Amino acid sequence: MALLGDFGTTWTKLLDTKTGRRWIVPTREARAEGQRADVATGHNARHLGPRYVNELIALAQGGQRMIEEPEFLLLDVGSRDVKYVHMRDGELVGMDWTATCGALTGFTLELLGRYYEIDYSSVEPSSRSVPVTCGILGMEQLFELVSQGVSEVEAVARFARGIAMNAFRFIGEPRQFYLSGGMCDNRLFLRSFPDGVGVRPLGRFVLVEGLMMELEASAPAEERAR
Amino acid sequence: MTESRRRRVGFAGCPPERVLEPLRKTAELIDLDNVVEGVEERSESLLPRTTCRIIRRILDNALALDLDEIVIDDGYGKCDAARGLADLLADSLEIPVIRTQNENREPSGTPISDSTLPLARKVEMILDELVRPQKAELAPQPNPPAALWGVPAADFTLYELFPDGTQVLGWTRCLENRTPADWEVETYVPAGIPTVFFAQTFCAKNILAQHLAQRHKGLHVDVDGVLSQPVRAKIEAFLHFKGVRG
Repeated sequence: MALLGDFGTTWTKLLDTKTGRRWIVPTREARAEGQRADVATGHNARHLGPRYVNELIALAQGGQRMIEEPEFLLLDVGSRDVKYVHMRDGELVGMDWTATCGALTGFTLELLGRYYEIDYSSVEPSSRSVPVTCGILGMEQLFELVSQGVSEVEAVARFARGIAMNAFRFIGEPRQFYLSGGMCDNRLFLRSFPDGVGVRPLGRFVLVEGLMMELEASAPAEERAR
Repeated sequence: MTESRRRRVGFAGCPPERVLEPLRKTAELIDLDNVVEGVEERSESLLPRTTCRIIRRILDNALALDLDEIVIDDGYGKCDAARGLADLLADSLEIPVIRTQNENREPSGTPISDSTLPLARKVEMILDELVRPQKAELAPQPNPPAALWGVPAADFTLYELFPDGTQVLGWTRCLENRTPADWEVETYVPAGIPTVFFAQTFCAKNILAQHLAQRHKGLHVDVDGVLSQPVRAKIEAFLHFKGVRG
């Protein structure tokens, strides 16, 4: 049995495979406490355990475990980056990862929610969007809107739509896709994609699920047979 | 030039053998495309921001190395950026800048590209051979586990992501073959080998790299200098799901 860890930029997701316990801690706390894992993924996780799996592999494998369709497109919106995998019959047919155009967007939305004390579950999505090429530039646009008299809630809603549209274009504007990461819990973000697009949130433990495959692959044959 | 040291000649690209060969005997040859320890980056103010890392490096080296002469291949095997750089060097430095065009089509062979050696060693040897040609007996790899198409990388850690025996394709292969302008060799991609297509960010070769990647179901990546975590992860994931193990 093992401890699996997805050490994200802001949040660390942990799973104890013995007890089945799942928990999330701020990454700065995990770092301060010297948290390690038997199998690790995530930003700066290469040295946090005996086995490291890169985020794209963990994401793809997590999708394979959690999604039944033979073909799927799975988008992960993290604190500092955006990445996706397109799988077909177990083969990786498309992928990308941007830490520049999608930089800090998830982190910024979280920050804005706290700053303006916004409950994202009660905010209506906007039909307009802020051009969010990165979190910092998007925030500049948002403050400009507020200074022009747009309400804070509407400005943040436009920002959320800007992030959603950026991510949507990044993955090739599919009719439906699966979503991974902290944004799965943000109702405003989920509703900020174009009408008719099917967004299926899988939660924050997709990469950790992907680590399970690594664990199973390395387990002795008799253990796998059990 | 002081009498105590040999004439120091820098070269860029792959000048013809008829030019390089006599220089090997009479001068200290320095490949300006490669990293030279201790050279600072001073080219930023002289070049547009959309200049590839290799052109930047050639200029950095040319400015820093107290050269007596520069030989630059600005023919079909190089690019517009190199031709522009040749003008810039000629106008900025007080040393001769010799322009060459290497249209050679006589193949020297590609035993290094097709050997069982680790990929980093292969590229190192191909680059070294321009300065110091050697005939090493190398075991051929009949079934390469993967292939890397492209030009020599600015960051050699790229090569560590590939298993030993990875085949060298693209312009780096042309370089070993001493046919830098041979489009047929450059676009050669054997079927059935998981192939990563690499070019420097801002390099026009990205058009060909992306096209070939789509045609051969490979992976296209571009890197500006240091290998980033996303590009590293993409290559690792591509090889992983193709069943290639290091």
